[in-house]
Amino acid sequence: MELFSQIIVNGILLGGLYGLMALGMGLVWGVLNIVNLAHGALIMFGAYALYYLFSGLGLDPFVGLPLAMLILFCFGYLLQRGLLNLIVRSALLNTLLITFGLDAVFAHVAQLAFSADFRTINPTYAGNNFQFFGLTIPLARLAAFGVALLLAVLLWLFLGHTRTGRAIRATAQNLTAARLYGVNPRAMYALTFGIGAALAGAAGGLYGIVSQFTPYIGASLTAKSFVIAILGGLDKPLGVIGGGLVLGVAEALTALYLGPTYTDVISFGLLVLILVSRPASVFERA
Amino acid sequence: MKIRIIFIVVVVLALLAGVPWYGSASIVQFGIDALLTATLAQGWNLIGGYAGYPSFGNSVFYGLGTYGTAIAMAQFGLPFWAGLVVGGILAVLCALLLGIPILRLRGPYFAIATLGLAAAMGAVIANLGIAGRNNGLILPLFRGDALFYELALGLLALTTLMIYLVSESRFGAGLIAIRENEDAAAVMGVNTTLYKVMALALSGFVSALAGGIHAYWITFIDPGSAFDATLNVKMVIMAVFGGPGTVLGPIIGAFLLSAISEVLAAKISTVAGLFFGGVIVLAVVFMPKGLIDVGYGVRRLGLSYFVQNIRQNRL
Repeated sequence: MELFSQIIVNGILLGGLYGLMALGMGLVWGVLNIVNLAHGALIMFGAYALYYLFSGLGLDPFVGLPLAMLILFCFGYLLQRGLLNLIVRSALLNTLLITFGLDAVFAHVAQLAFSADFRTINPTYAGNNFQFFGLTIPLARLAAFGVALLLAVLLWLFLGHTRTGRAIRATAQNLTAARLYGVNPRAMYALTFGIGAALAGAAGGLYGIVSQFTPYIGASLTAKSFVIAILGGLDKPLGVIGGGLVLGVAEALTALYLGPTYTDVISFGLLVLILVSRPASVFERA
Repeated sequence: MKIRIIFIVVVVLALLAGVPWYGSASIVQFGIDALLTATLAQGWNLIGGYAGYPSFGNSVFYGLGTYGTAIAMAQFGLPFWAGLVVGGILAVLCALLLGIPILRLRGPYFAIATLGLAAAMGAVIANLGIAGRNNGLILPLFRGDALFYELALGLLALTTLMIYLVSESRFGAGLIAIRENEDAAAVMGVNTTLYKVMALALSGFVSALAGGIHAYWITFIDPGSAFDATLNVKMVIMAVFGGPGTVLGPIIGAFLLSAISEVLAAKISTVAGLFFGGVIVLAVVFMPKGLIDVGYGVRRLGLSYFVQNIRQNRL
């Protein structure tokens, strides 16, 4: 029973980070209708940004995190404004293709710039844990989980309760009507993609604290984000975090009871089942 | 006109078929790889290009073909042709069983379901005793690159002929109608479920044959290589780069991109990957309808064709 609850706790802590990874992808997908296959590469950039802020400038990772997010925001804003806005109205396959191309470019640029060595962001308290009702809770993972939840709530408040957030949702619902009401879609798209990139940056930074990374972690993180974004209902932040928790716990339980080789069967099998039985979304009303 | 086209096709095929006699060993090996990838792109063309269902899971069929052939040959000692038949049947069965529920999904939901399916199938095979689990299987050794080359060329030629016949037929018109507007197609009396499942099954069948040929050529297979996720993306990119929903586009795209990455990989692999990604990005911006369309477009509009493409797709 103790093992079971420990596994559940591990799954939940990991799931929060998964949810944060998918948050930006779901937002960009839901609003811009771009399935961003380079999302994992943006997460990877976030990890390196925080790594250099930490090892170069000596900033505490959790202090450096907003800076890393700002860097990624600017990068995403310019990328959408300068390149992706040019193709955003073309067919779904083309947006898939261009982001796949970008993913390849980003990964290889990262390898040239940062080398292919394994890195990790390793503050002094990285190995600390504490006991809680007989459960071992790693401090860094708990903090990462808290930041993920905080960002999801902030995004939810931003989309629902600010003027700009409403403009973003209006653009997602009906581009022409939003334009008639004075929304500038080019800036709004760039802003949305920038926010998506900033969230990817935060996820990447936290990923770098709890795990190792290389320039090539992007592809598998994109796939996970894709699954979770669909489970959670794209631009519904709280739903996406819920989707991340489901996947985190499901993976942890599978690894415990069936063995680690079955985690992909379960997570992707679950995905296909959910898609076929309830195409809309599981957390639609969140 | 028709006779001229047939003449050109025969000459090109003869030139390609002669490669093992006048080309070097490394050219033949590159050729086998390029021809098999082109077959995959062509198989994807049927479901993705004509029917408009962006499958990211055609590696399921490729992998089933690979494993069908390998299991038949390595575990039961059957001859190669029987292995191909087993692989093909497995792929068609899989397309029929899974196609019916999955083809109800549309757009990105279909794409991710197929992607998930490919990952799940790879993981299932990796846990199956008869398929050698994670260790893979070793096939009987057969040296004869020339034979594999001709087999791959024949498969690509037959696949392309099939695509041509489909594109001229009522079936092909039905698939295009589904791509343009599925509800309207259904109202006009197209049996959409039947057409989509048939397109997927045909697409799966040729992919499985390509997988079988590749397995016997390479003589060693494991789940990682047979259900390689990048293969899915590769065939989609090649088909879309050349021109999806056209008879020759995917072949041109596949040959061109294979050749580019082969030449670059021989030099520096990191720069090769960078360049590959850059080419794809530029191609989407300047020629979103594929290479085939550039020919017509430039003849009609000159260089303003590229400007017009951007104007059409930008925000």
